[in-house]
Amino acid sequence: MKQIPDKDILLFKSCLVSVEYPGIESSTKFVFDKLGIDYEISPQQTCCTGLGHYSDIFDQFTTTTLGARNFRIAQSIDRPNLVMMCATCYAINKKVANILNNKDEVRERVNDVFKESDLDYLVYEKDSTRSSENIFHVVDILYNKRDEIAKHVKYDLSDFRIATHHGCHYCKVHYDDTIGGFRNPQILDELIEFCGCSTIGFYDHKRTTCGSGFRQRYSNKDLSLKVTEDKLMALKEDKVDILVHLCPNCHVQFDRYQNLISENTGEDFDIIHLNIAQFMAIVFGADFNSVVGTQAHTVPIESKIDNLKEVD
Amino acid sequence: MNVQKITDTPLNFAEEIINDIKSSKEDGILKCVQCGMCTSTCPAAKQSDYNPRDIIERVLQGDEDLIEDDVIWNCFYCYTCHSICPVGNSVCEVNQILKQFAIAKGVADDKIYDYLGFADSYYNSAIGAIPSKFYPEIKEDVEGWWEFRQNLGKIREELGLDALTPPKDVIDEVSLILTNCGFKERIDKVRNNDEL
Repeated sequence: MKQIPDKDILLFKSCLVSVEYPGIESSTKFVFDKLGIDYEISPQQTCCTGLGHYSDIFDQFTTTTLGARNFRIAQSIDRPNLVMMCATCYAINKKVANILNNKDEVRERVNDVFKESDLDYLVYEKDSTRSSENIFHVVDILYNKRDEIAKHVKYDLSDFRIATHHGCHYCKVHYDDTIGGFRNPQILDELIEFCGCSTIGFYDHKRTTCGSGFRQRYSNKDLSLKVTEDKLMALKEDKVDILVHLCPNCHVQFDRYQNLISENTGEDFDIIHLNIAQFMAIVFGADFNSVVGTQAHTVPIESKIDNLKEVD
Repeated sequence: MNVQKITDTPLNFAEEIINDIKSSKEDGILKCVQCGMCTSTCPAAKQSDYNPRDIIERVLQGDEDLIEDDVIWNCFYCYTCHSICPVGNSVCEVNQILKQFAIAKGVADDKIYDYLGFADSYYNSAIGAIPSKFYPEIKEDVEGWWEFRQNLGKIREELGLDALTPPKDVIDEVSLILTNCGFKERIDKVRNNDEL
């Protein structure tokens, strides 16, 4: 398996985490602190452009240039390992690193932009940030510390029916780097098991997209919600209580739109949606309002988890 | 006997795609065996007329009308085809490149106009997130969302999180980079064309 760091980490801010589910960030920090991960968040780091990029408004050269800047920011504070809370940031940054390292002509153009802007400190050196060695998702970091999870478990969530939704841009874009497989993705299921719970494992549509499709959610809403509905129906058949996510965009698609899909279809869906960091934070005993951030959720977390049972 | 001569001409279109900055699959397109694995696993193909196998067939035939075909805009960018292709092609990537060709040709302004908010938001606060243009619709679709967004600052404070946007000097720096990348010109062109 690839080498995964537990120090010198820049925890990369995500736009959707910041404005839609800020509790993912506070939960990630809470869990990282428990597991002894050395990380920092930098106000100098800016958005990966991902949502705009996959809505076709940002071109690859602009995204690559802004990505190169973020890599230099991470290097300048001696935190060469970039860790993502969002699957889109993960796929975008890995692609940016590959382009900067492998396409010499693009790297030179990017550096010309920096020089022309009198920002020579940003000039990117080939191979200084590598996709497989320096860019990770939070789930990779948690998986690397899997043997230390059990000792922090305070609450028992094993009575719930739990399923996982692995974001496409974690699993399917840079699939050679995906831990736990991408045809039947397992990394979230394994992390949940280390928390003393079990998941339903494979289910129909497990590997299907959430349906957001970036622009599809807004420009092609019927198409987008139909894909989400298929997945919700499969989860309902399996009587799932909790769907665990690793990407805030999937999280928006399911949590924000589940009630609308219920209204449109007449099917009652009552699944709650948690990011893996939020799930782990709850299991570790974090406060719902000051850490997990359940007040940001559309489907109330308390509708399922209303009292917590301590582990024996 | 009828002999069909194979010339290199139709492959120019494929080569142009392969040489694009986005392309990571080298000559994947040229290896396509038209097996249809992409189409059979594609969520857009399941729900609409979009057919990724057909996209590659048309690319290999040199059918440049594809750029102006609305169907390319149905791809979800879920990368399922990309992850599953037995010869290492990526229709998902090809699709993204086709759309960039359409934008460069000026035939897709109406498709991206609604998303200009992503560019404005990056200029103003160096963050992407959902453009405010979509807020009224989200407000209608998602009960309680607007109230939550009104309280976002307070909630972030409760969670002990730092400022939502980077400091002004950082925003100024990335704005300058955006302009010098040619991004501003790209955006202004779309805005002007659509507002004419």
